[in-house]
Amino acid sequence: MNRIMRRSRILLILILVMALGISVFSVEYYIKAKDWIMFPGSPHLYNSGNLGCGIVTDRDGILLMDMRDQRTYAENEMLRQSTVHWLGDRNGKVSAPALSNYAMQIAGFKVVNGVYTYGGTAGKAQISLSAKAQIAAFEAMAGQKGTVAVFNYKTGELICAVTTPTFDPNLPPDAAQEEVSGADGFYLNRFTQSVYIPGSIFKIATTAAALEAIPDALELRFQCEGTMEFGVDTVTCTGTHGDISLKEAFAYSCNCAYAQLSLKLGAETLDRYIRQFGIVDSIRFDGIETVSGNVQILNQAPVQVAWSGIGQHKDQVNPCAFMTFVGAIANGGIVTNPYLVSEITVGNSVTYQSENQTSKRIMSTKTATALQEFMRNNVQTVYSDEYFPGLTVCAKSGTAEVGAGLLPNGTFAGFSSDPDFPLAFIIFVENSGSGSSICLPILSKVLAACKEAI
Amino acid sequence: MGAIISALQQSDKTYIYVYQSVIRYIIPILAGLLLYRCIRPLVTFRREPEIWAWICLGNGKKLPVTHWESVIGRSKRSDIVIGIPTISRNHAVLTRYDDGSWTIADAGSKSGTRVNGKKISICPLEENDVIAIGGVEMTLQPISRRQEVRLSQLRTKASSPFRSVVNLSLLTVLQFLFCFSYLLVENVEDARLIFTGFLGITIFQWGMLTFYLIVKKPSFEVETLAFFLCTLGMVVISAVKPTEAVKQLAAISLGLGLFVGLGFVLRDLEHAKRVRYAAAIIGVVLLLITLVFGKEYHGAKNWLIIGSFSIQPSELSKVCFVFVGAATLDRLVNRRNLILFIVYTGVICVCLALMNDFGTALIFFVAFLLIAYLRSGSIGTIALACSAVGFAGILAVKIAPHALRRFESWRHIWEDPLNTGFQQTRALMCVAAGGFFGLGAGNGWMRRVFAADSDMVFASLSEEHGLLLSLMAVVCILALGLFVLRSAAIGRSSFYTIGACTAAGIYLVQAILNTLGTVDLLPLTGVTFPFLSNGGSSMICAWGLLAFIKAADTRQDASFSVRQSKYGRDQDE
Repeated sequence: MNRIMRRSRILLILILVMALGISVFSVEYYIKAKDWIMFPGSPHLYNSGNLGCGIVTDRDGILLMDMRDQRTYAENEMLRQSTVHWLGDRNGKVSAPALSNYAMQIAGFKVVNGVYTYGGTAGKAQISLSAKAQIAAFEAMAGQKGTVAVFNYKTGELICAVTTPTFDPNLPPDAAQEEVSGADGFYLNRFTQSVYIPGSIFKIATTAAALEAIPDALELRFQCEGTMEFGVDTVTCTGTHGDISLKEAFAYSCNCAYAQLSLKLGAETLDRYIRQFGIVDSIRFDGIETVSGNVQILNQAPVQVAWSGIGQHKDQVNPCAFMTFVGAIANGGIVTNPYLVSEITVGNSVTYQSENQTSKRIMSTKTATALQEFMRNNVQTVYSDEYFPGLTVCAKSGTAEVGAGLLPNGTFAGFSSDPDFPLAFIIFVENSGSGSSICLPILSKVLAACKEAI
Repeated sequence: MGAIISALQQSDKTYIYVYQSVIRYIIPILAGLLLYRCIRPLVTFRREPEIWAWICLGNGKKLPVTHWESVIGRSKRSDIVIGIPTISRNHAVLTRYDDGSWTIADAGSKSGTRVNGKKISICPLEENDVIAIGGVEMTLQPISRRQEVRLSQLRTKASSPFRSVVNLSLLTVLQFLFCFSYLLVENVEDARLIFTGFLGITIFQWGMLTFYLIVKKPSFEVETLAFFLCTLGMVVISAVKPTEAVKQLAAISLGLGLFVGLGFVLRDLEHAKRVRYAAAIIGVVLLLITLVFGKEYHGAKNWLIIGSFSIQPSELSKVCFVFVGAATLDRLVNRRNLILFIVYTGVICVCLALMNDFGTALIFFVAFLLIAYLRSGSIGTIALACSAVGFAGILAVKIAPHALRRFESWRHIWEDPLNTGFQQTRALMCVAAGGFFGLGAGNGWMRRVFAADSDMVFASLSEEHGLLLSLMAVVCILALGLFVLRSAAIGRSSFYTIGACTAAGIYLVQAILNTLGTVDLLPLTGVTFPFLSNGGSSMICAWGLLAFIKAADTRQDASFSVRQSKYGRDQDE
């Protein structure tokens, strides 16, 4: 029996394996539970590819979406259409990276408590968008394709961001509709995931580069005879402006002047400043990553450099990135990154709180101040303040030629310089024709709504 | 009943929320207390040496006989060591029987064993019979009846009736809390079944304890642990498949029947040894029948459908296998038996290989290794290792594609979370969602995952009732293992010790494969967790194995399957 007793200790091996295994798992749980619960498709957080827990409200607490069960969207159809690209749809065709990014905070996950909440209380994510501004922007776009967005350049809050065409998440497009109008991209968030030819709003960047690089830029004079010959190629202007200053050239959007300015700066300097301003960079906030823009200035023929400084040639900018750049001018040269998610609460505890997104300086205060004045002059002399009652708007319009026999895209970028209303904006309206005439009425309504929202 | 449930469910939601938010902390506390009370005596009882007889040598020296089965030999590892060169290393085996009689058997010694001058192979011993081994003469002097009584009284009392009643009351409170929490959330039809399921377990456990108290064997810790696991199993069924609650209850009742039946068989060692042969035949026949008439589900042809019943005979074969593997000491010294056992294992493994039942094959394999080691020790290791390799070889060749597929996704489940890694990634996500205390009854998602109530039971329980409770289920199995390890030291016959060790080994292997498979520390093998997983055959088998553990528990008044000294009890009264 002594032998059997001794041999029975072999059972200890199994006992140790079990104890060791379960200890290893416990440690693994402690370290990795967060990753497990966050993994896309995790049943307590996701539902058909999109987040499936918690509710989302706008900045004023208006319900945008209840993600529990089969998702309930806002009552107002226009609100649904104007926010679906931020909230995601039921089938996961439109993803909502900003919400997924905070899945853990919305679910209120803790290692000890899991995602348990008393009575299944849902987490509440408040986003910085204003429902009223979204509806106003959606109405103002009136079925035209494009995007319009406004953000607070002091704090970074994205107050309005609408992309069209869009759809009602309660009546998602069927296969046939997808087939017919799929090319329009109603699943696409143009604000973060598209690039546009900027047209003349790019002159803001070229002007900024000139102000930074050329000491007496304000004294520069340009000659405009309507066209400018580059061998067989020609840069055409909107008119014949004669002898003009930089400020006037900016106000009249004189292509000849900007062709001369681009060549005076030189390809390398222009390219360096465009990159320094972050115009073609990808912007990251709340798990969203915008597509990067594009310029091709180096090693190009002079006419191509000239067109690049005008905002044509191979120039492509992402609306969000350009809006951020314009916001930096308003903010005295310091970039404030936009953000969407303001605060997340589960029950009584705050699990996430946004912070001021101010980051780096991209231009001197002097340059920024001069540009502010230039853009203010544009509104006063060219566009009129009538559109923006109660606001001191500084802006630049653009009409971007897209070729292929299509009407040009209208664009408009700028900001309000009122300390109480630090709003920077961007708008692209596809194939609309002239920039300012199409964009101004839309912006007028959107900015009015945003002014009320903050 | 239906009306009560409807009324409960229509009450203010606040009551339900408050109830859930409170019991999520109360349940682990009560369960922890229950386990502490049950496990502490199992792993801390004193192991007193017992002297059953004396060997009187010619020179007046007396050697104590401390077991019912003792090897006399020159080897230091013998139970009774006589260091004289003429004596073989393992010379003879001395065996005591229930009725107090003794035998001596030669263990294949060189010089043979003589009783009263006659060379014997096995021979009953009377007082004053002269035993001669290797030229040394001795007599056996059993202890007197009076001494036996004293010995019996000195044994550690296993438990008091009061303690067992308190433990079971704690378990009953837990059952009530669990049951009530599901009554609040499930639909009326399911709630009725769930109520029946929990009530049934409660009735069974109290019935069992009453029986124990009547036969004056108040130790109920091991059974309480088993009922605790059954309760957790019922919790998972309530969450995952409420319609099977009553079926599982029926399985528990069959399991209890087998437990009591086997307990009585094991009570009498001679009886048990005879049943062994029948068990061997039944074990193989069950597998052969399955092989011929079995139905294939999910890759393994291990189901037998009889009318509306479906059983997994390979589960029941495990119980038979333990019977076959266990042997008394006098037989252990005979090599021929081990060879038979290897052949027997070979037949079983071929059957399982043909059925593609990878998980069960693995359990048999580990059980085989355990038994083989217990029986042979280091001596036969080489021979056994050979047959082990052969066993593994057959496994590998026959079910390689099946097994390899499981290995492919092992530790890579997150790379293919929607296909091969689906079950385990969902399991981990849900375990994380539940945290330490769970999401509460009815709030789980695991019910949508295949085998959530059997293979994935660890995760399902964890999700709704917390990781702490799941870990407690594992602790129960660990405690049973430790208990067997301790009680092996006071085992009377190697038959019981081997049986108990094998049974505990099977529990442990199943728990290891099930739990660690679920959490991707091991490949997923589809093995059930003893008592916890939903599955009738598995439940019956688990209770059957428990009988072997009970039979090795020789603490005073511990087990109805251990006969107390006849005289001791008579003279007490």
